[in-house]
Order: sequence, then C-alpha cells, then structure tokens
Amino acid sequence: MALQSSILATSIAPSGHLCSNSATLDKDAIVAFAARFDPQPYHLDPDAAAQSIFGGLCASGWHIAAVATRLITETLLDNGLPFIEMTSVSHLTWSRPSFVNEKISVRIGLGPSLTDSPIAGTHSQILEADVCNDEGVVVATMTATAAIATDGAVP
Amino acid sequence: MTSLYLRDRWFEDLPLGEFHVFGSHTFSELEIVEFAETFDPRPELTNPKQALCSHRQGLVASPWLITAMWMRKMVDYMEVYAQGVNDGRRNGAGVAINDLQWLEPVRPGHTLTYTYEIVAKPDRVIREKWGLIRSRNEAFNQYRTKVMQFEIDILAERRPKNSDDPQQQ
Repeated sequence: MALQSSILATSIAPSGHLCSNSATLDKDAIVAFAARFDPQPYHLDPDAAAQSIFGGLCASGWHIAAVATRLITETLLDNGLPFIEMTSVSHLTWSRPSFVNEKISVRIGLGPSLTDSPIAGTHSQILEADVCNDEGVVVATMTATAAIATDGAVP
Repeated sequence: MTSLYLRDRWFEDLPLGEFHVFGSHTFSELEIVEFAETFDPRPELTNPKQALCSHRQGLVASPWLITAMWMRKMVDYMEVYAQGVNDGRRNGAGVAINDLQWLEPVRPGHTLTYTYEIVAKPDRVIREKWGLIRSRNEAFNQYRTKVMQFEIDILAERRPKNSDDPQQQ
C-alpha cells in the first residue's frame, strides 16, 4: 500500500488551528487499500465507479480516516504533543468522495483536555479535525479523542 | 421468486433488530506491522522489539486496522450471502459514524468476531432517493471481550412511490 506524502511546512493558522502536511492518494494507493479492506466496485474499477453513486473512482472512507489520523499524529508530535494513540471517535462524517490524486490535509482544532483516559500514563485531548482536499473543500469531519502522554515523554 | 435477500431490499424492507455475524479474522504480526508502516510508522508500532518498551508492552494493531477489517468482513459477508454488489440499490454508501471506541488492545494472534445489528432508521430522505440504516457494530476477541464498537449510517434506497413490486427498480 503506497502512500505518497508530499511534505509542506506544518503551521499554526491564525485561528489557532494546527495545519497538517498533505498526502496525495493516487490510484494505486486507493485500489490497494480497497482490495484489502473495502473491495467494492467504486473503489476498485474506474468504469464501475463512473456508473456508481460517487461518479468516479474514489478512496474508501476508512482509507481517508487512516490517512487523516496519520497526518494528525505527525502534526501533534511536531507541535510537542506526545500523541500515543487515538482511543475514540465520537463523530465522523464523510461529506464528499475523495477522487484519484486529490491532496488531503487536516485542519486540527484542539478542544478540551481531560484527565480521564483509558491508557495509563496518558490524558485525553479532544480533537476537532476537518479533512480538506487541495481546493479547500471539506471531505470529512471528525471529532476524536487522543491519548497524550502525561509525563511529556514519547515512549 | 428471487433468491436475493440481504442487499436487494428497499429501505422499507429492512427490519429493526436484524442481526448478522460477519465473521472472524485472526490478525497476524505481519499485517499489523504493514498497516502501521503505511498509516502510523512509529518504531513502537512497526518494530516488535521496540514495541516491547512501549506503553502497550508489545505490538498492538493500529485502531484503524481493527475498524477497516470490519469493512472487509462486511463486504465478504454480503458477497457470500447476497449476490454481488454491482446493483445500484445494493451499493449503499456509508455517510457517518458515531461513538467509535477502541476498548482493548488487539495483539498478533488475536481473533476478532464482528457483529452488526440494525438499531435505527432515521426518518430522513436524502436526494429524494435514499434512507438511512443505522447499525451498531461490535468486535469481540477470543476471550469474548468487546474490543471495538461504533454506529454507522449507511444509505439504503427507498422504494419508489409508484412501485408495487419490491423487486422492480
């Protein structure tokens, strides 16, 4: 499963959001993920996809979620937050399909931080994530809880 | 008479409480490492020896691998118990998930069993064609401990108003 990731500078937007690097999902990556985890025609076959509800070959929603989580992980670590693991997602909406070669990035809002966490030695950080394509259109939104190492050390 | 059942039904024909066991999957060390190399390439997730020193004290599956495997088991199940996924009505796309929790670590050799139950049919019409089927999905390990749960809303085509025959499209 190839994941092409082109690196841009991580930055904190004026709004206080963290902005991730971007990752481009090419056809091979989309089809490889789908063949393994989501083998439905609109993720595998361009002709069948053109006739489907999506209108073209597009990435599995689970592929988008996994790539977004990788981008979130990298962004939090780059910004000094010792991310350990995502422990829950209270809400995730796929608002539009992501087609071949769209460049995906994540705008991350930091919500409340809670002492309670299912993993020992961590606390919970609520994340509000907007997954955007290269035209700035939101393709998915996710409210997630991440376990962050409380002692500040990455294990 | 038609032999189609699971996916060849209109929104109106899907009953609350319908329950399926999609099947089981045993996670190998190799697939856990390969998934992490692509989606979470930190040494404590991709290197079994370094994983011993992590907070999990050993290799565990990435959360999204556990959830992606649910999708695979669902597709396989529908392929076996229905007939193909090329019919438009059977191609219900997922639109949203709620209350996704990863409750326990999944380690190499663990076997998860995935279950599905229809828990709600929200009263919505989307693009004049689709309804929403909300299912509760859970994964249990070999000790019968629940390790993951979520709800997902999937589109299901509503029966056209002028259709008397549920099998005619």
